[in-house]
Amino acid sequence: MDTYSTKDPMRAALKKLIQHSNAPFTADDVLREFRTTKEKRSNRKLLKILEIISKHQPKSEEYLLEASKLLEKKDPFYCLLNFLNHYSETNIMQAIRKKDLSTSTPLLSKKMFETVTPDSVSEIKERVVLAATGGLTRVGQNTSAANMSGSHSPPPLALPACNKNHTDGVWDYRTIDNLHFQQNNISAIPISSQETLLLYDLIYCLTGMKGSYITSEECVSTGRGESTTVKFKISEQIHSSLRDIAKEILPLASYFTCIEQFIQKASFTECGQVLQALSEALNNLIRDYYLLLAQLESELNVGNLTVHKMLFYVRPTLNTMDVLAAVVSDISENELRGGQVLTLLYNKISALTGDEESQKFVIQLTQLASVPYMEILQLWVQKGVICDPQQEFLVEDNEVIRREELPEHYSADYWEKRYTIRRERIPCFLEKVSDIILRTGKYLNVIRQCGKKVTPPQIMNLQFSPTNQNHINVIQNAYQFASKNLLEVLLKENELMGHLMSVKRYLLLHQGDFITQFMDACEEELAKNVDKVLPMTLENLLGLTLRLSSAKHDPYKDDVHCELLTYDLVTQMSKIMNNEEEYWQSHDRLDLNGLECFAFRYEVKWPVSLVLNHIAISKYQMLFRQLFYCKHVERQLCKIWKENSIAKKFSPQAAELYRSAFTLRQRMMNAVQNLEYYMMIEVIEPNWHIFIQNMNKVENVDEVLSFHQDFLDSCLKNCMLTDTTLLNRSIFKLCNICLKFCEFIQSESSMVPSDTFSERVKRFDLEFTGILIGLIKQINDVASDNPSDRFINLVHRINFNSFYNQQIDKLCAKDSML
Amino acid sequence: MPSEIITLQLGQCGNQIGFEFWKRLCLEHGISPSGVLEDFATDGVDRKDVFFYQADDDHYIPRAVLLDLEPRVIHSIMSSPYAKLYNPENVYLSKHGGGAGNNWASGYSQGEKLQEEVFDIIDREADGSDSLEGFVLCHSIAGGTGSGMGSYIMERLSDRFPKKLIQTYSVFPNQDEISDVVVQPYNSMLTLRRLTSCADCVVVLDNTALNRIATDRLHIQNPSFTQINTLVSTIMSVSTTTLRYPSYMNNNLIGLTAPLIPTPQLHFLMTGYTPLTTDNDQTVNVRKTTVLDVMRRLLQPKNMMVSTGPDKTNHHCYISILNIIQGEVDPTQVHKSLQRIRERKLAQFIPWGPASIQVALSRSSPYVQSSHRVSGLMLANHTSICSLFERALGQYDKLKKRGAFLDQFRREDIFKDDLSELDDSRDVVDCLVQEYEAATQPNYLQWSAKKGQEEIH
Repeated sequence: MDTYSTKDPMRAALKKLIQHSNAPFTADDVLREFRTTKEKRSNRKLLKILEIISKHQPKSEEYLLEASKLLEKKDPFYCLLNFLNHYSETNIMQAIRKKDLSTSTPLLSKKMFETVTPDSVSEIKERVVLAATGGLTRVGQNTSAANMSGSHSPPPLALPACNKNHTDGVWDYRTIDNLHFQQNNISAIPISSQETLLLYDLIYCLTGMKGSYITSEECVSTGRGESTTVKFKISEQIHSSLRDIAKEILPLASYFTCIEQFIQKASFTECGQVLQALSEALNNLIRDYYLLLAQLESELNVGNLTVHKMLFYVRPTLNTMDVLAAVVSDISENELRGGQVLTLLYNKISALTGDEESQKFVIQLTQLASVPYMEILQLWVQKGVICDPQQEFLVEDNEVIRREELPEHYSADYWEKRYTIRRERIPCFLEKVSDIILRTGKYLNVIRQCGKKVTPPQIMNLQFSPTNQNHINVIQNAYQFASKNLLEVLLKENELMGHLMSVKRYLLLHQGDFITQFMDACEEELAKNVDKVLPMTLENLLGLTLRLSSAKHDPYKDDVHCELLTYDLVTQMSKIMNNEEEYWQSHDRLDLNGLECFAFRYEVKWPVSLVLNHIAISKYQMLFRQLFYCKHVERQLCKIWKENSIAKKFSPQAAELYRSAFTLRQRMMNAVQNLEYYMMIEVIEPNWHIFIQNMNKVENVDEVLSFHQDFLDSCLKNCMLTDTTLLNRSIFKLCNICLKFCEFIQSESSMVPSDTFSERVKRFDLEFTGILIGLIKQINDVASDNPSDRFINLVHRINFNSFYNQQIDKLCAKDSML
Repeated sequence: MPSEIITLQLGQCGNQIGFEFWKRLCLEHGISPSGVLEDFATDGVDRKDVFFYQADDDHYIPRAVLLDLEPRVIHSIMSSPYAKLYNPENVYLSKHGGGAGNNWASGYSQGEKLQEEVFDIIDREADGSDSLEGFVLCHSIAGGTGSGMGSYIMERLSDRFPKKLIQTYSVFPNQDEISDVVVQPYNSMLTLRRLTSCADCVVVLDNTALNRIATDRLHIQNPSFTQINTLVSTIMSVSTTTLRYPSYMNNNLIGLTAPLIPTPQLHFLMTGYTPLTTDNDQTVNVRKTTVLDVMRRLLQPKNMMVSTGPDKTNHHCYISILNIIQGEVDPTQVHKSLQRIRERKLAQFIPWGPASIQVALSRSSPYVQSSHRVSGLMLANHTSICSLFERALGQYDKLKKRGAFLDQFRREDIFKDDLSELDDSRDVVDCLVQEYEAATQPNYLQWSAKKGQEEIH
């Protein structure tokens, strides 16, 4: 028992308490509770544990109160220690400390003081280094154990929990409070002797040890408590002249502590590769610092060192360490990581203009710290792969599924959503090229997904140097390579333009003869109610038409299919304009005939589907439906034209009776045809022209996408397919009255004119004119609001010879009267 | 399933212009004179099957029927390099071989007698097409065969194929020279009646205007038939270009003609073409032409292929216009050009209905090099066309008053009993002129013919 208690006084004390209180857990349970990470524990729970185990103990309430206060401010483990201290026979804290000191700090062994010779400097240095790294590894072990069970997402700069457990960490002066060095009164001895002692003390302090005459004051917590600066107090016994100089040197110790703390914290995996690289780089700098100390010590040992000399020697280092300490405390205070760290370092470089020495250090640090980041970047811009275990890289891959398992409407979102830029992760020196970086990798990915190998022409080594722009060049080269390649893949190997031409041919009715033939073939089928239309029949007729018409030479004709949409054009319009993702999901069927629901579908494979994605195809379909419907009306009007041309054999008197019907038909034809001409010749064709011109000088795929979208949106807008309420409905009404009129004329097959005939024609006339004038007026109104639109051209076309002027004026006058 | 069109060539003039037309089509589609597809023309961006059918993979045969009552022109065709182009079964020569003697009545009666053989050919051609859209007839109205036999065939066609379109390219006689055909006014009047009541669309090719264009604008002293016919073949080929090189609109015959013809009677179209060149002065006219230039020039009377005489009262107007523009056209220019024409009121339109200039941008053959960046053809329905009919009426009346040359008409069946057919025809044409005049007025819808008689049928 006794040996046990000396070996592990904490456990012993705990065990005793637990035995007394009959608490239902073991000492290890309690220790584990107190060691868990910050996020997982609750102070209340810990207090409860303490309350349970101290149930039958004297003064438990007082101690619990103290413990709760400690829990608020300090590490729970410290609190536990403190608490147990009250109930233990031995002073646990001291027991632990003695053990640690005797094993892990060889610097303190007394004999060193006597035997130091210049030869042993290197040996001392080694020991110092050993001590430093020893401390590190210990902490590391602790943490890895504690973090194993932690969540995968890295806690922001998550050092902490474990570090706090490790209350007696080497670099924490405050924990050495209770340790009493031999402290003789030296005020009496001569200044030169005082100086030697002070110098030893200073060197201790600079290595992170507490000296005999220099004590650390209460730590000043700066901000979030992660980093602290240590203030030192020099014993009054030292002569004030020495004290003043020592005070100038001492900040170095606090900088050193600060940096060492940072190095320890930052070397954990979750901190990210950048911080790790930075801490590695700092470690190298610290090594030089140790070397300086070793040199100082050896000077001291041979008696050559004075306080003044020391100040002189450390002055440059003091400055540098100041800068570094400021940097690292900035980083840990703001919990920076990844790109943010690089940004901070990079900004520091320019802030340090004038301080060449420190600037050099920071440049070096920045370079080293950026190495892992640049490696990720290089892999991304040259291979399109993200290898970023700690989520530091500015591009994020949001995809978990493979392309083979894509959902149906995959590629529309692919481009936008698969890879995204995380703004906060961009180092400022890559800010300008971040867009290029994102696209480079995206392009490479598409190329790879097309089953092609990506082999950059030469392996470019991507290294960041704050002093030149080489990295930008490398990125731009990679970008050019990727975008050129993907363009080639898309435009040459996959014949994007050929596909677009085909889409234009079929969905924008450019191949008019094909459309005419197809309508001839499908007229009967499409006249049925949509529920009775047999999609297979349509598909067969389409196949037949494709093979028999001039479309037979089109290599992409097999990509065209028939589709019966389950909603009318207006619904589709409102859906696509509101960007509803689920718009393809079926709805209640309206009472529509096949013609109103019919559209072509164009199916393409990756990577053409990147451009011709389902949104784009839907937009084409909307244009198609309007054009197709107008074409249908035109055909019906042509049909009755031919049927009525029999009237040329009539005598003029008989023909006169029909003239009103003929001229009405002509007005309808004029309106519908002008609408078609307007959409085809004045909207689609010029926009296509512009699109082709743009495509001839296109440089990357994003431009392709945006030009294509511009083309479609401009067509939709000018074909009046964006305004859901007004124009489109009027056009639809206009078409319908024409169709009704055709039906009426055809049913009057006997061609016996009668009063009712001319009356009915008159009614049709009134209705048609009303709708047409209404439409013209709507367009006029819309056009006066948006002078840049082309709508007004349609009015000019329909009213080319000012035939409708009078009626329009009448309507306008009526409106203004209201 | 293309919308096939069968071409009928009648008489000397009809066969001549038809011959030029087919020559031109072969050139544009890359078909050799023997009907074989040239190697360079196999990419197939055009629609050959509207006017041709395929005998085998690369052998194209025109959907043409050649008819004549005398052998001269057909023999010259059959001894030309294009002899093998035509289906020999479609070439019909009257065994009688004596022609119609420039007599409408003779041509008409011979047409009646030969109708069985002729319609055997036409029916076979019609059965051979999947979805026949209509017939195109090439003839002159002044001679005997083209006018007389043409009239008879037109009547029968409209009876037998009431759902098919009948379009004619009708050559009107040259008024500037004294014709050796003395009964020309009678012939014209009788043919015009059939053109009015049987054809759906008549493209008027006025020899007066064609000759004037040749001499004044192309500076040819004595234009030959071939040179005139080159002009005609250009008009015929360009006016069918939207059928052969389809694009958004006007890609079938009905879609091409229906918008131009608002009421059934007013179906006589005039044409205009720019730029006008012949083979020998191509270098002169190589200059930059814009869409607006072309459209503006098309509205100038001097480029019209119909000589309507001066419009003294300036009341005639366009009923409809279709411009077929070929070449390197920036589609954005179309609207601006239309706007300019509208603003400057360069064209006068009917007051009783909406009318506008439609512009069809058409591809042109990749195998025929044009020296012009942009060229244009106008198909227009203009009321001034009636001046042609008025002129014909005047000449007819002069001749009829004297009762001259009527004997040779009386010999034929149709005039055996009386000459009422002539008077009826005159009334129909007179009525047509009145209707065209009425169409210039706002109250056209309420108009009724003054001297009209009872219904003809």
